[in-house]
Amino acid sequence: MTSVTKISKSIVAAVMLSVVSLPSLAKVTEYTLNNQMKVLVKEDHRSPVVVHQVWYRVGSNYEYSGKTGISHMLEHMMFKGTKTLEPGEFSKIVAKMGGQENAFTSSDYTAYYQVVGRKHLADVMRLEADRMRNIVLTDEEFLKERQVVTEERRWRTEDKPTGKLYEQFKATAFMNSPAHHPVIGWMPDIQSWTAEDARNWYKRWYAPNNATLVVVGDVKPQDVYQLAKKYYGKIKPEKLIQPTPQTEIPQEGPRRIVLKGATKTPSILMGFHAPTLVTAKNKEQRKEVFALEVLSSILDGDDSARLTKELVRKQQVVASVGAGYDATDRLMTLFLFQATPSEGITPEKTEQAIWKEIEKLQTKLVSQQELDRVLAQTEAQYVYHQDSIQSQATVLGSLVSVGLPADTLDKWVDELRTVTPEDLRAVAKKYLQKDKVTVATLLPNGKKIKRKSGAGMHMGDIH
Amino acid sequence: MKTNIAKSIYQAWLFMAAFLVCVPVYAGIHIESWQTKNGAKVMYVQSAQLPMLDIEMTFDAGSARDGNDWGLASMTSTLLGTTTSKLNENAISETFNNIGAQIGSGVTRDSASISLRTLTRPEIMKTALTNFETLVSDSQFSQSIFDREMQRLKIGLKQKSVKPQVIASDTLWKTLYGEHPYAHPTSGTLEAAEKINLDKVKAFYKKYYVASNALISIVGNVDKKQAQQIAEQLTQNLAQGQKPNDLLPPKKLAKHEKIKIDFDSTQTYYSLAQLGIERGNPDYVALFVGNHILGGSGFGSLLMEEVREKRGLVYSVYSYFAPQKVTGPFVIGLSTKNASALEADKVVRDTLNGFLKGFSDEKLQAIKDNLIGGFPLRSDSNAKILGYISMIGFYGLPLDYLDWFPKQIENVTKQDILAAWHKHIKPAEMLNIMVGKPQ
Repeated sequence: MTSVTKISKSIVAAVMLSVVSLPSLAKVTEYTLNNQMKVLVKEDHRSPVVVHQVWYRVGSNYEYSGKTGISHMLEHMMFKGTKTLEPGEFSKIVAKMGGQENAFTSSDYTAYYQVVGRKHLADVMRLEADRMRNIVLTDEEFLKERQVVTEERRWRTEDKPTGKLYEQFKATAFMNSPAHHPVIGWMPDIQSWTAEDARNWYKRWYAPNNATLVVVGDVKPQDVYQLAKKYYGKIKPEKLIQPTPQTEIPQEGPRRIVLKGATKTPSILMGFHAPTLVTAKNKEQRKEVFALEVLSSILDGDDSARLTKELVRKQQVVASVGAGYDATDRLMTLFLFQATPSEGITPEKTEQAIWKEIEKLQTKLVSQQELDRVLAQTEAQYVYHQDSIQSQATVLGSLVSVGLPADTLDKWVDELRTVTPEDLRAVAKKYLQKDKVTVATLLPNGKKIKRKSGAGMHMGDIH
Repeated sequence: MKTNIAKSIYQAWLFMAAFLVCVPVYAGIHIESWQTKNGAKVMYVQSAQLPMLDIEMTFDAGSARDGNDWGLASMTSTLLGTTTSKLNENAISETFNNIGAQIGSGVTRDSASISLRTLTRPEIMKTALTNFETLVSDSQFSQSIFDREMQRLKIGLKQKSVKPQVIASDTLWKTLYGEHPYAHPTSGTLEAAEKINLDKVKAFYKKYYVASNALISIVGNVDKKQAQQIAEQLTQNLAQGQKPNDLLPPKKLAKHEKIKIDFDSTQTYYSLAQLGIERGNPDYVALFVGNHILGGSGFGSLLMEEVREKRGLVYSVYSYFAPQKVTGPFVIGLSTKNASALEADKVVRDTLNGFLKGFSDEKLQAIKDNLIGGFPLRSDSNAKILGYISMIGFYGLPLDYLDWFPKQIENVTKQDILAAWHKHIKPAEMLNIMVGKPQ
């Protein structure tokens, strides 16, 4: 399918960053079916519309070397027909309803969704339940779709130096954790998958007890529950064999790579191993996670945040700069910095400027005013986020799929409120250390772009 | 990755995309429109369920108004509201950020816009509106911020020159539009950037950011009386000014052209294009429905079926009309590995020619069902409603456009569609661009 692969988890990350906790306007109702499939329903009656999503707890972080990207490939194959539907028929039926549908794969989950008028909810449920168990995965369709995925990889990564940089940066920052691998998979792996690989992956992970149903929109929870029982409830659970932990080994010194690519301006990525709400083992570590979350907002929450204010506006050493941290990754994550230097500024100097900002956080306490701004932003964004039923559903699905409670978002701002300036200084000292950094630098490869002057040359006969 | 230029490019594209999916909102969205005392047009929809408010101010001040200073409209928009007579840059951003309000701005070929999203808690909304008003009516332009943003712009423009899809798109507009003001990129060019200076920015602001040239779109938790007050407040200190003259339509391309740009990429970035139609064109409905069959509806469309599903040549292939104030383009686009570029080209042309010969009644009915059945989805958020009313207001479409449009879709026949396509689309005369190493 159009399968929006979330290589960098940007969609959810964006939503998650915006997450906050005013009293939620609508509560989430949770059910568990007899086969252990989770069901989450949230009412939103603003339009006669409903979003229906099924989330499987499988993604690139469940994969192993040689077969990377197979979760994403399987996602594509889910649109290629079942025992009762022709390839592409699922999409045609949803289109005729006036619906929108798609799917996306990330490191920790694979999700399928339809947005339809409320009267079509039962129909899309029936279709989605059908393909949870009944897809027909032929060699012929598989080989054709594998070509599509190689094109997808070329488009997303091969011709984008910054995309490649991010991939190799992650592969350097993570040595043994599956976070080493890109969601879409390495090209040689993609080119050697077989249909049997996808069939095995499907059998292993696509089961009700490994899935979460999320419905948000103009519905009543009890009605959704009854429908879910009818369509999903009859599917038998599977015995799930979880992958081994593959916990990333500690980093004992800085790591650096350089990529030379088709770029005119250099750029850098810096990252530090960081815990998440899922990896946090106790209350103290949870607190650290929220402190890191606030820290990333202090650095890059908005255009008053430190990186923009200091490095773009005041020192003018960078054309652009950002920081990021995803507190809801299932495995150990990275606290990230990204920058494009200003004209005439070297990547080294840019890195030093970022280190200066880190040192400030390690030595000086953040002001109450800065903290208040982060909280005000978080609260407002919690309201804004409810303007979209899709974004509400996506947040719920992603949280539950990594093993976090469905109300994590609703409690977010209260959790952030407990973070003190001292906490921020402590996590900056503990995690943003010089010996714990991975730096990836993109440099121009110096190749001339071969291009005739003007609008280009006219081509002879191409047919 | 945040780079300024990427942002403005995406914004331009998103704006187009907003038109493409500009399928009507379902009946039930009540749009009201009026003029402020000094001549600004207001579009308003009440949406009381969430305690928030969205406002967008749109000016006929896009890059089509650049004159010879390509990039001037974009630079003016970048600098708009960075300083006011009372507040400096940091104070302005803190004012909004401290209350969780969001400011956005963007430029397309036709328009420049600045937007506000805020909570409607009274003290917060009041602060947000008071300050938003000054960004537009009391914008000051400082030399130091200009110099900094010019440096950032140049870095962005340099980066553009190594992005094959951007090269393809810039070449498309340049070739289709020749001397027309749509021809150059919204963000300008490296050479043109040298000619822009602060005085030109100030003059552009003074001429185009005026009440007669302004549209204010309001969606959210405010009643009509409040909306009226807000509209007056936002325009009270704007000069009345004048609407700029209408743009002239572009001249048709004299002959079909094939342009190949040799580029070291793994894929060839391909487009097949010609001039399309302007917004408000009476053939729009027939072209729009037809385009959904051809390449505008993702997996339901012929191009996707032929190029991707049958042959596995691409991840994405699409076609669209981007109607603008004056004639916008019609574009078919894809990217495929260099080795299959020529094959993809042939499949695209065969598919287009086949479509022009006709399509099944089932296909037409399926597309109509999709478009008409999908209306409620297209207005299920304040953000989407804002996009629609801003489009309707800016292009002067009738207020009942959203009810009228689905009825037209329902009534359009296969004959209407084919007649409109044959009138506007000439496959033998289309411009073909390939960036990469096509084989």
